[in-house]
Amino acid sequence: MSTPTVSNSMLGQFVNELEETFIALILGLMTVITFAAAFVRYVFNSDWWRAFEGVIGIEAPRTVIWGLEATSFLFAWLVLFGVSYAVKTTANLGVDAVTNAMSPEIRKILALIACAVCIAYAFLLLKGAWDYWANFANLPQTTGRWFPTGLEEMKRTSYRSWYEVNDIRIPEWMRFIEPWMNEGEAYEKIPRFIPYVILPFGAALLLFRFVQATIRIWRGEAESLIVSHEAEDAVEDVAHMNKD
Amino acid sequence: MDVVILFSMVIGLMLIGVPIAVSLGFSSIIFLLVLSDTSLASIAQSFFQAMAGHYTLLAIPFFILASSFMSTGGVAQRIIRFSIAIVGHFPGGLAIAGVFACMLFAALSGSSPATVVAIGSIVIAGMRQVGYTKDFAAGVIANAGTLGILIPPSIVMVVYASATDVSVGRMFLAGVIPGLMAGTMLMLTIYVIAKMRDLPKGEWRGWSEVAEAGGDALWGLLLIVIILGGIYSGWFTPTEAAAVAAVYAFVIANFVYRDMGPLAGRNGEANKPLWRKPIALITAFFHRDTKMTLLEAGKLTITLMFIIANALILKHVLTDEQIPQQIAGAMLEAGFGPITFLIIVNVILLIGGQFMEPSGLLVIVAPLVFPIALELGIDPIHLGIIMVVNMEIGMITPPVGLNLFVTSGVAGMPMMRVVKAALPFLAVLFVFLIMVTYIPKISTVLPDAVMGPQINCDRGVPTNKLEAAFCEARATQ
Repeated sequence: MSTPTVSNSMLGQFVNELEETFIALILGLMTVITFAAAFVRYVFNSDWWRAFEGVIGIEAPRTVIWGLEATSFLFAWLVLFGVSYAVKTTANLGVDAVTNAMSPEIRKILALIACAVCIAYAFLLLKGAWDYWANFANLPQTTGRWFPTGLEEMKRTSYRSWYEVNDIRIPEWMRFIEPWMNEGEAYEKIPRFIPYVILPFGAALLLFRFVQATIRIWRGEAESLIVSHEAEDAVEDVAHMNKD
Repeated sequence: MDVVILFSMVIGLMLIGVPIAVSLGFSSIIFLLVLSDTSLASIAQSFFQAMAGHYTLLAIPFFILASSFMSTGGVAQRIIRFSIAIVGHFPGGLAIAGVFACMLFAALSGSSPATVVAIGSIVIAGMRQVGYTKDFAAGVIANAGTLGILIPPSIVMVVYASATDVSVGRMFLAGVIPGLMAGTMLMLTIYVIAKMRDLPKGEWRGWSEVAEAGGDALWGLLLIVIILGGIYSGWFTPTEAAAVAAVYAFVIANFVYRDMGPLAGRNGEANKPLWRKPIALITAFFHRDTKMTLLEAGKLTITLMFIIANALILKHVLTDEQIPQQIAGAMLEAGFGPITFLIIVNVILLIGGQFMEPSGLLVIVAPLVFPIALELGIDPIHLGIIMVVNMEIGMITPPVGLNLFVTSGVAGMPMMRVVKAALPFLAVLFVFLIMVTYIPKISTVLPDAVMGPQINCDRGVPTNKLEAAFCEARATQ
């Protein structure tokens, strides 16, 4: 069963509000952008709209070229940012049929083993995420195949901050990064290290939340890392309606 | 041999309580690091691309959001009222109406546990009031609730389409006839039982009630028309259709039904009309209810996509190691035909469907069985429907079907009683499964008629190797 895991402290409340707002905002933006792109394609290209434009003397955009790419990146941000929130709120789906049949002691041992696996997973993902992102931000990758054994020596090809995305133009206010990241040269589209930064950030948060979850289980404040289906809370909400 | 170790590891981890996503991802990463020269960086990249690079999967968050706006309690109520108005006067009327309501709601929500919760909680209570046993009510709802993933639009179908590169539009169409068939079979069974046991029937309230209840439920049901109509008229891609549906659902929930958002009446007051509070046109976007709905939908998207993204890494391992081809070769050599193969698929999915969330299971099993099925000449759309129906039934197959758990929670009954109550209808669905598995026409006739077959062998040999193998197998049959 999912247990409330939001801390009562001011900071805990604030962070929780921040996480929830961010998730809601990303999903809302994705929807609005995709809807707007379809809207623009049909309405602003229609004959009657063009006639209307003639009357009021403006010209609306005919396509939203950056829409698809922006939505795709937001989708990645939603999931990569959100997995740590899912760990925090014990929303990840799993199989509890076997563990439920065990005695509480064995269940706790199994849960702790599961935690160890999750921490190892998040760690590997974090190393991979850093290695992938680092060069795009002119930072060194780590060496080593499984564990980071050190930092690579930066070669000429390790500086990749000039890589840009395909469609999203850089907004003017963001140009302040050019002297730092691109030797003062102007970007036309936003550089790739910006959308990709969610990889190391999300993976680090995931690792942090898995460690927190492990501590909770160790202390006996929580029983497991998983729920067996997505409607578990909803079932509890309606259970009273058919009680004998 | 490798594949046995890989899958034992995935299943083993899952059973000790590791989240499904991590079981898949961790096992795959270990495999890639040991067996190939893939780096962790490229695994992280493919994780990012699971979201950023799959246009089809982008439909999932929007479908989930649309159904979250729609599945507020008010819509379930309206659908139930409409169902009772239409079929409530037959013997066993309320039970039949329950099935009918599940079918309608399934089309809106696309998730089976959600359907059981929304419809079951109300209908089971209602059935008991008019004199049905709780067991009968729970048995009906547990079974009818599984239709959620079969009747389009369905998230599981989007996942299948994305995992195997078939068209979402065809999958949705393919689900229509089987979905209606399964619902009708369940309703007929209830009718027969009701005749035998003389179960209560409701009264016919007249066409005016049908019209009134229908008009009220219509706004919700139009969502299906928008999605399916938008896709098949060629106006929208499935992803766009889903986004448009989400916006539509937001408007209906906030401004027409007004059960949520700034116009909802608090503490038992009636919902306000828009003209009394026009500022709602703006505040609705920032209202707490809107945010909570976005958050709920976001959370569900995250948990599903976390599984799917990791399953895609597993798929990467499987294709790298050519595992499906090996299994296919071994099966063909052993002289297994399509029928034996389908039985094996049936069994695997029935067992898997008991434990696992259907879309997760599908991403794992689809890449494995899809190439084999094509080499055996099984239509990819047909295979998709078989897989969906199998998982549907897996959810109510004892000992541990997911829907049984949900129903036992909703109805407040012990698990074993739900199992027993669901059995007679489960038998009906089994007959249905056998029909769907061995009569491909049930699934393929509609998509083939509207959009043409997924793989067209009449236009010469396809360039894709798998599709060529499919046509070859078809030609020799």
